[in-house]
Amino acid sequence: MNRNFNKTVKYSFIKILLIPISLWIIASLVFLLLRIAPGDPVDAILGSGATLEAREILRNNLGLNESIPIQYLTFLKNLSHFNLGISLSNQEPVMEIIRESLPASIELGLVSFIVAICMGFPIGYIGLKNKDKKLDLVSRIIGISSYAIPPFWGAMMAQLLFSIIIRIFPIGGRFPIFQDQPSVTGFIIIDSILNNNISALIGSLYHIALPALTLGFLLSGIFSRSFRLNLEKSYQSDYVEAAICRGINDKNILLKYALPNSLLPILTLSGVTIASLAGGALLIEITFSWPGIALRLQEAIFQRDYNLVQGIVIVTSFLVVSLNLIVDILIALFDPRIKF
Amino acid sequence: MFLKNTLKFYKLLIFLIFLSFINSSCSRSNNSKKISLASSGKIESLDPARINTIKALQIISSLGDTLYEFSNEGQLVPKLASDMPIFSEDKLTIHINLREDVFFHDGTKFDSNAMKFTINRFKKIGTTNYILGNKIKSIETPSKYKLIIKLNKPSSSIEGLLTSLNLTPLSPEFYKDFNDKFLNDEFVGTGKYILKKFSNDIQILEPNIKYWGRSPINDGINIIGYSNSNSLYGALKSKQVDVLLSNSIDDSQRYKLRSLSENQKIKEGRSAPNEISFISLRTNKKPFNNLNIRRAIAKSLNRELISKKVSYGLREPAKSIVPSKFKKDIIVSWPSYNINEAKNLLRGEGFCDGKILKFPLTYRSNVPTDKLVALAWQQDINSSMEDCIYMEIYGVESTTIYKNLSEGIYTAVILDWIGAYSDPEAYLKPLLSCDKFEKNICIEGQSVFSGSFWASKDVEALFLGSDSNYGMDRLNKLIKIEQIASESIPYIPIWISSQKAWSQKNISMPVFNGGGQIIMSELRHIDE
Repeated sequence: MNRNFNKTVKYSFIKILLIPISLWIIASLVFLLLRIAPGDPVDAILGSGATLEAREILRNNLGLNESIPIQYLTFLKNLSHFNLGISLSNQEPVMEIIRESLPASIELGLVSFIVAICMGFPIGYIGLKNKDKKLDLVSRIIGISSYAIPPFWGAMMAQLLFSIIIRIFPIGGRFPIFQDQPSVTGFIIIDSILNNNISALIGSLYHIALPALTLGFLLSGIFSRSFRLNLEKSYQSDYVEAAICRGINDKNILLKYALPNSLLPILTLSGVTIASLAGGALLIEITFSWPGIALRLQEAIFQRDYNLVQGIVIVTSFLVVSLNLIVDILIALFDPRIKF
Repeated sequence: MFLKNTLKFYKLLIFLIFLSFINSSCSRSNNSKKISLASSGKIESLDPARINTIKALQIISSLGDTLYEFSNEGQLVPKLASDMPIFSEDKLTIHINLREDVFFHDGTKFDSNAMKFTINRFKKIGTTNYILGNKIKSIETPSKYKLIIKLNKPSSSIEGLLTSLNLTPLSPEFYKDFNDKFLNDEFVGTGKYILKKFSNDIQILEPNIKYWGRSPINDGINIIGYSNSNSLYGALKSKQVDVLLSNSIDDSQRYKLRSLSENQKIKEGRSAPNEISFISLRTNKKPFNNLNIRRAIAKSLNRELISKKVSYGLREPAKSIVPSKFKKDIIVSWPSYNINEAKNLLRGEGFCDGKILKFPLTYRSNVPTDKLVALAWQQDINSSMEDCIYMEIYGVESTTIYKNLSEGIYTAVILDWIGAYSDPEAYLKPLLSCDKFEKNICIEGQSVFSGSFWASKDVEALFLGSDSNYGMDRLNKLIKIEQIASESIPYIPIWISSQKAWSQKNISMPVFNGGGQIIMSELRHIDE
């Protein structure tokens, strides 16, 4: 165990050292692709009516008249000082914009993930417990259809049904417009709790409910199918059969024998899901006007805001790489079969 | 047993969530005296030197005042100025007297120095400062409430510029550290509302109780931005907002809103038409360097049909590139739809009967209406002029189109335009003026950036002449410019649109000012 732990630490150390290299490659690719893409921030800001002189002045002010290699070197130099630059469209620090929008995406992602787990596991469990019965068929249909539904369609239908027809959820946004938004960490739910502000907590839950339920439902299928499959495999294993022979009751067999082993593959799946949600769920954010990082990235791409696009991609890439590393370490710690 | 416990937990959780939503839904009604207004998209900045989006201009018009504004009849009306501008005999100096009872939101007094500060700041850092061009030579402040603007050359369009929201006066005291940079998330002006909260998607405006004029008749405006047309429509339909203000809502939803307003379930208000949609033809290369081909193409555009198919007839077919309210309703008619004449013109150029004119039409892929216009026109041409014209359509993102327009990449492209200020010149110059040209081809100038590359010696002379004329003399010159353009057809006008807003039944009907901005201060709950 001790030897494996040391190897895990060594593996993690190497992986951490590789993070800057991964980020440098990603940053360079984004830098290059943005410069290759037609259109530039000047056109996005000024539209088609500006004079040549006005364009040149703005291009000069934004530092776009420098040669590409010089722009690249400046970008790398700033990046090495953790300076992501200034947004070309509104002249605000990129880090500040990310700090404002990233918590919204993470908050939505985490709540959706919890919803997905809360939906997926019971559906998978009910299906397995009622194998080849009607409930199993229902759980399979729910599981498959949830990840077969295109997110944009699912989100629009949820909005139509719950916000427009039944009218129990708001149509979009993150917080009631008429309330003062608590501001500490940027995570409104946490900030409401920290400020002891119950109405803000209810307001934020009220707004996050529909997008999180929708995204959670869309993600739940993967978890229910995966959970069912792995739990079934665990139930068929020798150690569970041995436990049954020893007369251990159903609850203990599930919680102490079958469940821990069936959760290991789901840990990997959860890591990948959370990592993908860290970059925001674009279609859900667009449909529900959720002011997250994915929506911000989409706007920045339309505005050809080079610095902001670069900044968002670098930060979200960092999160994805870090989360993957954490998942790798957790799996190595929990699963003795994994050796580095 | 385990399953039962889990189910109990879920039931309890659902019950708690349900309770919290009931609570949350109820708390909304506590705030009913404020008007909630939904609009599309986000606002990056509330700095008048930075703004160029319709939404930001709408909000600035409520937070600040301009020196002058245009009435709905197109007349210049003093606002922060105490009377009309006085021009010197050589038209190179303008004397403007200012109101003495105006305060900024930070409590400082509005005076000529504040106006000078604002204009100079816009000249220095304004992203659209090209609208001033080289018109202003200097600004003098001989007394606290007297402003003298000296011009480099006579410019009659300066009146229109003085109504520009980009020149909304700012408090020099508040903006002293932002003389050469933008202040995006705060605004201190003189308007009817004070900005209480600003974020990209939520803005809260509260009445300015010290306003020099008539105060707002509501308790404030909460503005929320939604990122798509469905949410905007849904928010009004489900009564989650009081007013919907958007020109980017889908035409099918506009149509449904129109039906609802006709059935008196909601109210619809609209501005005078001010947004022109047109097709820009590249006149410096084949095939549109040929005037007869341009004429034929212009005559093949069935505006009525396109308006009916694409906008359910809600957008007014236009045969002009200048809104009629700026021309005192004098009609300048661009070529009308006439399929037989179009065919005859093409036959005269050797097309039809076996030889087909092929050309690409580009539309902005991120503007849904543009695609529908392109498809409708293509379909119409395929059915009525199949033997003469073959049109291919391509969607390109708008930013890419704007970048490539001056490169002459697009043979024909669908665009739109709203004048930066209320004046015919704000529509004509950006489309027709040219700084450097050979024969009728523009090499440098605005028509290059509009993708037409069209130029005319007569038009340039008339632009020059219009700068030193006023009143009807100036208007006649500008109308003559449009007449010349209508005969050369560098553009094909499609339709002209209004800014629209819809309100719930218990809210007053939205009203717009002469500049096309909704007057937020006039919105009120009817049962109050």
